[in-house]
Amino acid sequence: MIDNKTFIIGGIVIALMIGVVAVFMASSDPDGLESTALVVQGQKELTGATPENAEIQEDLNGKFSYESPMPDYSLGERFGPLGGIVAIVAGTILALLIVVGAIYSIKIAGKATK
Amino acid sequence: MHIPDAFIPIPQGIVYWIIALVFVALALRWAKNEMSEEKIPIVAVLAAGIFALQSFNLPVSMGTSGHLVGGALAAIVLGSPFAAVFILALVLIVQGVLFGDGGITTMGANIINMGVIGGFVGFYSFKGLMGITRSMPVSAFLAAWLACLIPALAAAGEMFIAGTFPLEAGLVAMGIYHAIIGIVEGMVTVGVIYLIMNVRPDLVDMGVKRPAGA
Repeated sequence: MIDNKTFIIGGIVIALMIGVVAVFMASSDPDGLESTALVVQGQKELTGATPENAEIQEDLNGKFSYESPMPDYSLGERFGPLGGIVAIVAGTILALLIVVGAIYSIKIAGKATK
Repeated sequence: MHIPDAFIPIPQGIVYWIIALVFVALALRWAKNEMSEEKIPIVAVLAAGIFALQSFNLPVSMGTSGHLVGGALAAIVLGSPFAAVFILALVLIVQGVLFGDGGITTMGANIINMGVIGGFVGFYSFKGLMGITRSMPVSAFLAAWLACLIPALAAAGEMFIAGTFPLEAGLVAMGIYHAIIGIVEGMVTVGVIYLIMNVRPDLVDMGVKRPAGA
């Protein structure tokens, strides 16, 4: 048994290490949904490799579009892998803070109404 | 399987958002009533871990990659499908808003698929399989595999309704790719449960807990 502090710090360190390794080692192949889009658009065989020039055709008519500040977990090519690390570390810490913050807010709000 | 904005028309996206918000509200109620403060460390670590693991795309052959979703993991470890809805919804908000991973109008659909369907399928298939097999690794592996495959098939259905994929081709491709990605999901889920059970067995809920004195 380890105490809460060790558990949280250990857990966060492991999460950050996974995220940093991902920046360098993650596969650039399309994910399952993107692959399926390429297959149904006739750009890729179901079980074949993804062609270099394959690109998902998007019908943006009647769809919402949004430009995120750090698309694809990167700060843009200018910053390279370092930008990727910053993006992933920021995302991991933020996910943790938002989840824990949400729990504390719910608990405090819950106590206040009792 | 994060659906981008371009794949679902806005009105349909709103319908999925409304359904998702009902489950998010139920998840907030669960967090308020059921979650003890002793669980906060494990929830914190799961949130960070699920975010990091989701960014790690592993090659799964056939020109495709996939990553852990984590719905089954969160639901099993915290002992409720609403734990998955709670954590996944917040992780998906961070991913969609900051990183463009999954759309904004499609976030409701993504919360339904990965959080709600993933969480409920993961939790109840784990519970059922534990009753039959009495084996955590077997039950967690299969539950996580199903919690990857079934949301993917649901996404294929949503893509059909949206007119983005034809039904049969979409189901076949989504099914085949996520049946393989699910193997990764299963292995990582079992590995993480083992890891947590070793360092903090008291934080793991459900039948996974070792019997007293064992």
